[in-house]
Amino acid sequence: MARLIRTEKEVEGRREEVWLVVDEDALEQWPAGPRNVVGRPATRNDGLARARGQARYTADVHFPGMLHAAVLRSPHAHARVKRIDLAPALAAPGVRGAIGPGDAPELSAECEYQGAPVAAVCADSFAEARNALELVDVEWEVLEPLLDPEAAIARESLIESPRTRERGDFERALAEADVVVEATYRTQTVLHNSMETHQSVCRWEGDVLEVYTSTQYVWGVRQEIAQALDLPADKVRVVCEYMGGGFGSKNGAGEYTFVAAELARRTGHAVRCALTRREEHVAAGNRNATIQRYTIGARGDGTLTALGGEFVNSVGAGGWVAMTEGPLLMLYECPNVKATTYGAKLNLPPAKAFRAPGFVEGTFGLECALDELAAKLDLDPLELRRRNHADAEPGGDRPYSGKNLIECYRRAEPHWERRHEVRSRSTSSVKRGVGMASQVWFGGGGPPSYAWIRVGSDARATVVTAMQDVGTGTKTAMAMIAAEELGIPVEHVTVAVGDSLRGPYATLSAGSSTTPSIGPAVRAAAADAKRQIRDMAEQRYGENADKHSLAELLSVLGNAQILGSGSRGPNPTGMTVLTFGVQVAEVAVDVETGEVTVDRIAAIHDVGRVINPLGASSQVEGGIIQGVGHTLSEERLVDPESGRILTTTLDGYKMPTIADVPEIVSELIDIPDTQLTSLGAKGIGEPPIIPVAAAIANAIRDATGADVRLLPITREEMLRALAEARERSRGAAAAV
Amino acid sequence: MELLQPSSLDDLDGASNALLLAGGTEVVPLLREGLVRADVLVDINGLVPHGISGTTIGAAATLAELEVDPQVPEALREACRLAASPQLRNMGSIGGNLLQATRCWYWRLDFPCRLHGGDRCHAHDGEHREHAIFANDFCASAHPSDVAAALVALGATMRTTRRELAVRELYRLPTADDRRTTTLEPGEVILELDVPPPDASTYLKAMDRKRWAFPLVGVAAARRGAATTVALAGVAPIPWLLEGSLDEATPLPGTAYKVEIAAALVGRARAALA
Repeated sequence: MARLIRTEKEVEGRREEVWLVVDEDALEQWPAGPRNVVGRPATRNDGLARARGQARYTADVHFPGMLHAAVLRSPHAHARVKRIDLAPALAAPGVRGAIGPGDAPELSAECEYQGAPVAAVCADSFAEARNALELVDVEWEVLEPLLDPEAAIARESLIESPRTRERGDFERALAEADVVVEATYRTQTVLHNSMETHQSVCRWEGDVLEVYTSTQYVWGVRQEIAQALDLPADKVRVVCEYMGGGFGSKNGAGEYTFVAAELARRTGHAVRCALTRREEHVAAGNRNATIQRYTIGARGDGTLTALGGEFVNSVGAGGWVAMTEGPLLMLYECPNVKATTYGAKLNLPPAKAFRAPGFVEGTFGLECALDELAAKLDLDPLELRRRNHADAEPGGDRPYSGKNLIECYRRAEPHWERRHEVRSRSTSSVKRGVGMASQVWFGGGGPPSYAWIRVGSDARATVVTAMQDVGTGTKTAMAMIAAEELGIPVEHVTVAVGDSLRGPYATLSAGSSTTPSIGPAVRAAAADAKRQIRDMAEQRYGENADKHSLAELLSVLGNAQILGSGSRGPNPTGMTVLTFGVQVAEVAVDVETGEVTVDRIAAIHDVGRVINPLGASSQVEGGIIQGVGHTLSEERLVDPESGRILTTTLDGYKMPTIADVPEIVSELIDIPDTQLTSLGAKGIGEPPIIPVAAAIANAIRDATGADVRLLPITREEMLRALAEARERSRGAAAAV
Repeated sequence: MELLQPSSLDDLDGASNALLLAGGTEVVPLLREGLVRADVLVDINGLVPHGISGTTIGAAATLAELEVDPQVPEALREACRLAASPQLRNMGSIGGNLLQATRCWYWRLDFPCRLHGGDRCHAHDGEHREHAIFANDFCASAHPSDVAAALVALGATMRTTRRELAVRELYRLPTADDRRTTTLEPGEVILELDVPPPDASTYLKAMDRKRWAFPLVGVAAARRGAATTVALAGVAPIPWLLEGSLDEATPLPGTAYKVEIAAALVGRARAALA
């Protein structure tokens, strides 16, 4: 029976109370360990289609007469359009339409960052549209840009009021601490750089707006457009069958969708609006830079007594203030904590969520500071972390639904033990070492999400849910869950996703939530179908029903079908649902040239039940590779005078190549969270990127004694840290 | 834009506003960015010598050919191997490589900088971690070619449609009167290179990632008898023959680290050749 409930919902650390309609989710969890399908490695059900180029991404969507749009963006970091004349562009060859400030949501004459969308042109070809943009006559009033985050804080140019989270008495605990570590860390701005750039194709079919878009949230785009254009929600059809990555940057509709929709309305043609790679580097979102000041107090045995942090997020012209303080608040048991976070409003492109926003940045700072404490106390870093393990949510008694971080630490031991052998391979110019870092993150998912299933007389099933597989392999996971519940081979399950007209609501693919949110709905739908099949069997065969196979039973159906539906139930009340893990990195540092080489990273993560071990290890590898780029080479650079973005190409903005990828050892604890849904599964999309930077930085300290203070750890930062360490040891020697 | 595929270099005379196209890995991106303009592209692949024969290298030889050819001195082979990506090395010619424009982001983004004829070097007061440590007063751009540094260290010479010259003489520092970084005249085409074999040579490179990055510092060294010649990539607006000491470098605040790297790599290169 459907039930109306009020429950707590969390996305990436933001909690809210929501009303929900759910079906009773009375299914027992499967026993731990591999099942027939679930828990065994499965290749992707759409892998061949993707590899063969048959998968239709938004970039592949094409309609007869489709026009191509190009967006005029502010070349200035801060400017106002005093006058704009679209007529010369409209008169250019091939041009069919042009719109300016106010003609579509997000097109504005007030430009708060370079790349802010102002106007758009559509033409028969993209080249014609782009050429016509240059003919748009704009008179700019160029304004002074605000680019420095500390200056922004001083001038109270803030995204929102500063946020302070406190427990216990931090100041007193700090005064009483045996040992205090103070350290400042900085992280850079990095770019998502999804393979598929941000894009939409829009066309009007009668009074229905069809939106083909590269998105992480089919239903969010539908709602956003319906509201902005004042359309009934079901007059907006959003389609995203295949998706070429988003990493948090594609949670919203985006100006490209509104531009395509408006130009399609005006011209009567389908219109594509796709960002170029250069636009992607400027105006498609980013992980904001941070400044993190830590003050940590501890007893002589390493027990943390005071954790303090002041955080500055350089958010940009808009966006939200991610939880850079999250790890400080959540990772360790410590009774006295004080964290204040500022979100600097700057004339720079707005930040967007990026794979564990805030926690990637905050874990770098906190876990490096913790190793500084370990060094000061001459304690083993692994032992220090064990001593400060939180058995329940720090600062309260709220239990975890499931936590196996101690088991992660135990499994990390053999990797951690390698440090003696690794160090011994150092030479006079190349120093080797091992470092570790822990990880906490959300990833439990939550309601609502729904799935339908239909089972035919051939004993094959089709799962229908309007979720999106953002490239992580969740579509395969859904097939596995349905196959497991129905007792049929996974190859006999088709999964239809990504169409708001042809499936029920499914949640946003963010916060590592797709599998833990939608997976239980799929299992519930399969169970619903299975119940009906069992009823049918009893009617036909009575007590002997069990002796007949599914195929035999269903074969009499002909064109009749069994239809099941399921929904995601609530998360356990009064419990905190989180993911945990630890990574151990091995590095080599050339102390004469500052070159850092990451040789190996062992990743041990606790994400509840693992549905597809192959898909999960792919996520671990992808997260670590993205983390290596974040740690060593990626940085968006800005001209400090004009506020213009300088790194706009893939040779200037340096993502890791395959030659930069270390050996990756992926171990998943794979213990179902008994409190969480009928699956006991959490998400693995984000956890693996979280500890990478700190594990590498701590390995560098182990190898060289140098404290790196900022990301990326370029040659200059490495050489600076080495010089500082030499200076320090000289000072220490002089003092003796 | 028109593409010409003439049968002789003589046919080039008179082509107005034309650009020569060999591998296209440099010219095509510059065209796309609007940094160079042309009405006519002239495909010179059929006109310029290919291949490697003894010490002679055709200007149309690709970096991919050079990096595996045992006739080619080690410094040049390594410079080719450590340049760009395999895809780019398959296409890029050595002649084109020598004529690469700087990767300075201000120049690439068409800031009105001195190299573009303007009156200031934006890198001086701006972001300049990839920039020059020598001859950087007028323009702080860094020359990106690994290959050019190797050829300068090896004492290579070249033959063009008009003259013979040392590779070193191909380059000039930009000045207020003349912003060009090469001495190549309009219509002049590089035909062949001659690389006299050294007793030993090497190329060492520091970059921001393990592959596919321009040099932060590249060090080419070639020894003949007791004399070792060292040339650097990525440290000056042109390939830099190191005649004095690294102490004479004039780094910007953000490029001092390059001096340290150069010192380490020069030391290693000399040690390797000793």
